[in-house]
Amino acid sequence: MGKTLFEKIWESHVVVEKQNNPTLIYIDRHLVHEVTSPQAFDGLRQNNRKVRRPDLTIATMDHNVPTTDRSLPILDQTSSVQIKTLEKNCKDFGIKLFDIDSPNQGIVHVIGPQLGITLPGTTIVCGDSHTSTHGAFGALALGIGTSDVEHVLASQTMWLEKPKPFEIRVEGKRKNPHAVTAKDIVLSIIKNIGTGGGTGTVIEYRGEGITDLSMEQRMTICNMSIEAGARAGLIAPDEKTFEYLRNREYTPKNYESLVDSWKGHLKTDRDAKFEKEFILHIDDIAPQVSWGTNPGMTCDVTDSVPSPDEFSNGDPNQKRGAEKALDYMALEPGTLIEDIKIDRVFIGSCTNARLEDLIEASKVIKGQKISSHVKAMVVPGSQMVKKQAEAMGLDKIFINANFEWRESGCSMCLGMNPDILSPGERCASTSNRNFEGRQGTGGRTHLVSPVMAAAAAIHGHFVDVRKLDLS
Amino acid sequence: MKGNVIKYARDNIDTDVIIPGTYLKIHDYAELATHAMEGLDPDFHSKVKEGDFILSGKNFGCGSSREHAPIALSHSGIKAVLALSFARIFYRNAVDGAFLLPIEIEQDAYDGISEGDEISIDVSVNEIKNITKNQTYKMKPFSEIIGKIIAAGGLFKYKPDQD
Repeated sequence: MGKTLFEKIWESHVVVEKQNNPTLIYIDRHLVHEVTSPQAFDGLRQNNRKVRRPDLTIATMDHNVPTTDRSLPILDQTSSVQIKTLEKNCKDFGIKLFDIDSPNQGIVHVIGPQLGITLPGTTIVCGDSHTSTHGAFGALALGIGTSDVEHVLASQTMWLEKPKPFEIRVEGKRKNPHAVTAKDIVLSIIKNIGTGGGTGTVIEYRGEGITDLSMEQRMTICNMSIEAGARAGLIAPDEKTFEYLRNREYTPKNYESLVDSWKGHLKTDRDAKFEKEFILHIDDIAPQVSWGTNPGMTCDVTDSVPSPDEFSNGDPNQKRGAEKALDYMALEPGTLIEDIKIDRVFIGSCTNARLEDLIEASKVIKGQKISSHVKAMVVPGSQMVKKQAEAMGLDKIFINANFEWRESGCSMCLGMNPDILSPGERCASTSNRNFEGRQGTGGRTHLVSPVMAAAAAIHGHFVDVRKLDLS
Repeated sequence: MKGNVIKYARDNIDTDVIIPGTYLKIHDYAELATHAMEGLDPDFHSKVKEGDFILSGKNFGCGSSREHAPIALSHSGIKAVLALSFARIFYRNAVDGAFLLPIEIEQDAYDGISEGDEISIDVSVNEIKNITKNQTYKMKPFSEIIGKIIAAGGLFKYKPDQD
């Protein structure tokens, strides 16, 4: 029987496999950031261990770095300590660090691919759940906790129970690909399969609806695999993948021979079997807006907020969850999504802060001003994205529309730095999680695509971007 | 293991409510624990006692990979979380660091156990006893692998079987 892409990558990385034991797999790349690594380095010191492969380990600071003027000192003492701790750890253990002043600094899942560190067929881990992003390149990319970070630092391996392959086929063509984006595809998937729909699996996204996407759009899809509970998400590499990674700063010297070895091999065999399957037809899907407090609580922009009964299908826990979500979000069932007024707009995060995201959003706002009651910000995913966007004049388009144009980092996606919502504020956000308090205590998050966020900033409420001229 | 139950009768308790992002900068675990569950239940810290259990629905611990989540619960005194299902990174972190036991339960235990009930858990026979209500439920057994890591006291103490 044939093998799935996941099984091929898995098998080529097995170090030890015995019955009734977890499998020890080799890790090709370990990405490190300031929040989930300090205790891991402490653990190494306490046990007199070294980093096994500093050459395969790369660090940056993204989660709590300020997105304001970087020449100013960081006043928050705990943030400052965490940043300095990573600097010291990288120095002590010989790890390459893209620090706060580096032109390569940025969200770890944005810079990996941008620098050619993320490669097809590899295993990648990072102490961050959105590591699944790198799966867009046909890598098996896993988010791990701090104990596993320490284990990988010490051994370049990790123990893992083998996940099950899950096929998600995305069929059809979007009628308006500028208005209906990769974000809308992945939100539609999660809306359908649920936040636990992928638990214990590695999703492979396949079909015309996926191969049609650019690499940056594919990253948006794989990024949110974790929001469906999956261990990882991946997409078989193709010419777009190979082209994207060509001539990047850290692209291997023998790249073309690597490409030859990937072609034909890094794909699911015709007769391979998946353990689970879901098909999404995208010909007629609408832009998506989340209304609740997890990414599965999402509907079309043309819908109204559902009642807990409608949403729950008779499941009492789902009903209670929906009631609590509506209470937290201060929404009444039956309210049209387009009538929901917003206070803040956040264009950023490892889901949607790449160059294409900023280009698409800028088309919506060009020559316009944001609504007078809205505060809006753009936080580019990396310094490189910021520089490229500035070279295209995108910063001016955003600034002229009264957006704030910030330095790169995770920012308001998770509310670790001063970029947070105030209690009760409602935000159209291009990030990945609408959990209670995620963007700041009492903050209300609606997950949307960059074009939907930009349009909401201009109009002060959600609008169906299919009605706008986005060409 | 014996203790009282704090019940959150809903699915999808995420790591952002278990320990909000703003506290991920805290390195002192005792201080971290004072903010456990703050995003969902601001009274948690004042009511939780050493040896208590949390009971909840499906997909407990979904979201971020932050190990701070099981650490904050563990340092609050929580010895086990009983849930209909777990998000895998949370489950793995709880086991790897030997912070607390993630115990998968069936619907009967979820429905039968109420807030404040005193229960005892015997993982050697996969049994949960509700002392308050004099009921007994089965827990889903740990996989052999997870059981071995738990019995060893976490990932760094676990030694794989030798040939």
